[in-house]
Amino acid sequence: MARRPSPSDYRSDVWNDWCPGCGNFGIVAAMYQALAELNADPKATVVVSGIGCSGKIPHFLSVSGVHTLHGRAIPFATGIKLANPGLNVIVNGGDGDLLGIGAGHFVALGRRNIDITVIMHDNQVYGLTKGQASPTLPRGIRTKALPMPNLQDPVNPVALAIASGYTFVARGYSSRVKHLKDLIKAAVEHRGAAFIDVLQPCVTYNDVFTYDYYDKRVYALEESGWDPDVRDESDAARKAAEAYAKAFEWGDRIPIGVFYRNAHVPSFEDRIAGRLPGYLKVPPAAEPVDSGGAPLMDADAFRKAFSKYIVEIGEG
Amino acid sequence: MTLRALDFILGGPQGGGLETSSQILTWAFARAGYGVISDREYFSNIRGRHSYVHAEVSATGLPRALRYPIHLLGAMDAETVFTHFGDLAPGSYLVYDTGEEGKVYESIPSIEPELKARLRAAFREAGLDGTLGSLVKYLSASRRVVPVGLHYASVLSEAQKEVGIAASQASRYVSAILVGAVAGLTGLGDGPVSYGLSRRFPKKELYEPNRYVAGAVASYVKSKFGAPLALEASSIGQRELLVASGNDVSAMAKIVGGLRFQSYYPITPAADESFTLEEYESLHLDGFDSEVVVLQTEDELAAINAAVGAALAGARSATATSGPGFDLMVEGLGWAGMNEVPVVVTYYQRGGPSTGQPTRGAQSDLLSSVFASHGEYPRIVIASGDHEEVFRDAIEALNYAERYQMPVIHLVDKFLANTIASIPMPDLSSIRIDRGKLVGEAAGAGGYKRFDFSSPISPRAFLGQAVMWYTGDEHDEWGHITEDPESRVKIMEKRMRKLEIADSEIPEEARASYYGPERADFLLVGWGFVKGAALAALEDLSAEGLRGAYLHVRMFSPYPSRLVSRILAGFEPDRVIDVEHNYTAQAASLLAMNTGFRIRRSVLKFTGRPMYADELARAVKSVLSGSEREVLSYGA
Ligand SMILES: Cc1ncc(C[n+]2csc(CCOP(=O)(O)OP(=O)(O)O)c2C)c(N)n1
Ligand code: SF4
Ligand SMILES: [Mg+2]
Repeated sequence: MARRPSPSDYRSDVWNDWCPGCGNFGIVAAMYQALAELNADPKATVVVSGIGCSGKIPHFLSVSGVHTLHGRAIPFATGIKLANPGLNVIVNGGDGDLLGIGAGHFVALGRRNIDITVIMHDNQVYGLTKGQASPTLPRGIRTKALPMPNLQDPVNPVALAIASGYTFVARGYSSRVKHLKDLIKAAVEHRGAAFIDVLQPCVTYNDVFTYDYYDKRVYALEESGWDPDVRDESDAARKAAEAYAKAFEWGDRIPIGVFYRNAHVPSFEDRIAGRLPGYLKVPPAAEPVDSGGAPLMDADAFRKAFSKYIVEIGEG
Repeated sequence: MTLRALDFILGGPQGGGLETSSQILTWAFARAGYGVISDREYFSNIRGRHSYVHAEVSATGLPRALRYPIHLLGAMDAETVFTHFGDLAPGSYLVYDTGEEGKVYESIPSIEPELKARLRAAFREAGLDGTLGSLVKYLSASRRVVPVGLHYASVLSEAQKEVGIAASQASRYVSAILVGAVAGLTGLGDGPVSYGLSRRFPKKELYEPNRYVAGAVASYVKSKFGAPLALEASSIGQRELLVASGNDVSAMAKIVGGLRFQSYYPITPAADESFTLEEYESLHLDGFDSEVVVLQTEDELAAINAAVGAALAGARSATATSGPGFDLMVEGLGWAGMNEVPVVVTYYQRGGPSTGQPTRGAQSDLLSSVFASHGEYPRIVIASGDHEEVFRDAIEALNYAERYQMPVIHLVDKFLANTIASIPMPDLSSIRIDRGKLVGEAAGAGGYKRFDFSSPISPRAFLGQAVMWYTGDEHDEWGHITEDPESRVKIMEKRMRKLEIADSEIPEEARASYYGPERADFLLVGWGFVKGAALAALEDLSAEGLRGAYLHVRMFSPYPSRLVSRILAGFEPDRVIDVEHNYTAQAASLLAMNTGFRIRRSVLKFTGRPMYADELARAVKSVLSGSEREVLSYGA
């Protein structure tokens, strides 16, 4: 692309079948804008999603898209990124997808600190299966489709991300598109596992956490003087603890913005490169496996590599 | 008199050095030019429960099967003798610790109650008092077993004086006592034994005392018994041998085959393969470079899906697992089928269902491998029968996956995985790497349809080379969701046609092999590790004038129906016998489904222990004289 791309360059021509007014429209709009401002190469950008209303998002983008299984977007993204660390990999998942059926993977990504951005569509319900409670719906709440109030306590996504080791943890709101766009850009530019919990009103099934509810309450952390950055490695634990506590602020005022950012933790790719000297130069996806149909390894190399298993017959 | 082949068992508590003894002896026999196979049997336990190694050493070939009764039992402890005394042939040798003669089986807590009950009955009948001493006397008097009693503690305290090993370390040298005893009884030369020891103990501080103990025991035993179990000179005629477990062979083959990504979640008996891969993750020899990312995931759901992701990005990719892990992978495998992803699952079968028999072998996941899924998609299922086949198949699995753009399941059983065998060095010049139809960056121009309908196998570009979409929903050529009925028919046909193409391209001779005379009187049909036992049993039977053949099935999808039908047509239906390690004769069901031929007779084993050539030969005779179903159970 010679000219600077515009957001509409990142829109595919697939008809978007989300309910009119769904908060997901704000998220995809923020993605179009962020990708345009990042001048993202559509070939080298891969959006990986799970299953749910949120999971359809790759089809609406004109970058590569991998619409995976319920809960498994992170493992797919992990394989893609580790095979080709040159790709820009973004995961979009529902709250049920990432924190219910896929919660183990969510934690694992934090531990590894792979350079992947995870955007969670947090609508407190299972949209695509018609409105059941998701893992972020508070106890005692009865959203529209629920026959009875919710019996289970919610998990706090921001706190869980911090506890899991994500090195960039933020919250956005789908209706503050420009703010969300900036968060997405910062998350993509962060080298390490980045997580954005996006408050996303589901206009069809969630009649409690609505636009109106959030519009009255959200405020930007950066405007309140919050400093998310770990400036010195030795300060990481204290900063994480403060951000963790901040994650529980919820009620009349709901903070959005970056809670925590730590650029000092080595990414998983760097950790692998510490063991595989060629890894970042020639990643697994590009490393040759044959020479004209013959294996690269010949008898000599085999003998050298696997001498441990070879027994030469002889006397001594 | 010298032996052509020797079967022996070494036993002891798990974690007590048994593997050390067996490894040293395997290297030593191979060094002396003999063929070796050695099967390790163990509980799901880290320390203390009884484990044993059953090995066969051959002067005339590279053995692929084990036999009973055995010529030699080397016991680290009394439990080994209590467990295996029935395996000893008349005239065989029993190496045991005279310091344990007073041990009574009833008071050994690790012996399972069922075995205790059997021992109670046997001891009552023989009029024994329950001690090891009484058992040894009885074996010697009534079964012509030759006791080779050594006082292990004295041997070790002698060594403490001579080579100064610390008293606290002495028990670590029991493994060297067994090495010495086996070397002495078999007349294995000093050279090969030192070779085995030096490979196991490259450090002088460990090598020297081990050598001392083994040497002292060997010369004592030799002087007293005179190498009664000596093997005849080897006529195998190899200059070098590859000595490795199935797990290790698979790992080596994957590296030769250009594997670039392997994900796994630890599970027996698959995990060793991934460990070996990690050991060789970075190879930079002159002119040869290979790096493999080996990722330990949080579970098998992640393992399969990360492997699929890596394949989408263009890496040759695989995962390795066993039954419980495979069950978790099924949904991911379906996604790979739906999205035409080349990914390999190396499936090490163990006893099931559920946790089942985690450390024991089985062939009971065949139908699951072929059918596990909701919906329908094409897949290739290969099964290896011995270490050489594991090597070939592990590479072909990677080739087929890319050529036909579908998941490939490579079935190996625990028997193969944990059995160490000596095999010829692989012939790398005959190996091909086939990546299938790749378009690379050229795909980008004018929009790339990943699932282009113009041929069943669409040209493949990797993520990063073009913009493309994938989805587990039914999709169009672009990889976008569609529920259109006509498009559904087209894409289903496109995907399923690939299996027909594979069926027409992969020679049936590579998918099933016939072993035996052109006209045989009966046919054994088997797969996997059964191969070795079947071929050895047929040899024994032919010595008795029974002319049989063996049909070895190596690929179950696409099934070599024409070749198998042709072979079956040459036999009376009642002279065809299915042989496998499961309860329900799964391979026979698949054979019936694919050929219409229903095998009515079977020899089955599902104890978790391998089939032994001798028990199989006996069972075949029973079947030939009318029995419809023989269930084998030999082996501790
Ligand atoms: C293994 C599996 N179980 C259940 C489903 C059914 N299912 C589809 S979407 C979904 C929930 C989606 O909720 P969420 O992840 O919050 O996404 P949203 O639709 O709210 O964006 C479920 C349970 C499935 N697709 N796969
Ligand atoms: S159900 Fe809710 S989340 Fe799904 S598209 Fe409709 S409004 Fe959006
Ligand atoms: Mg949701």
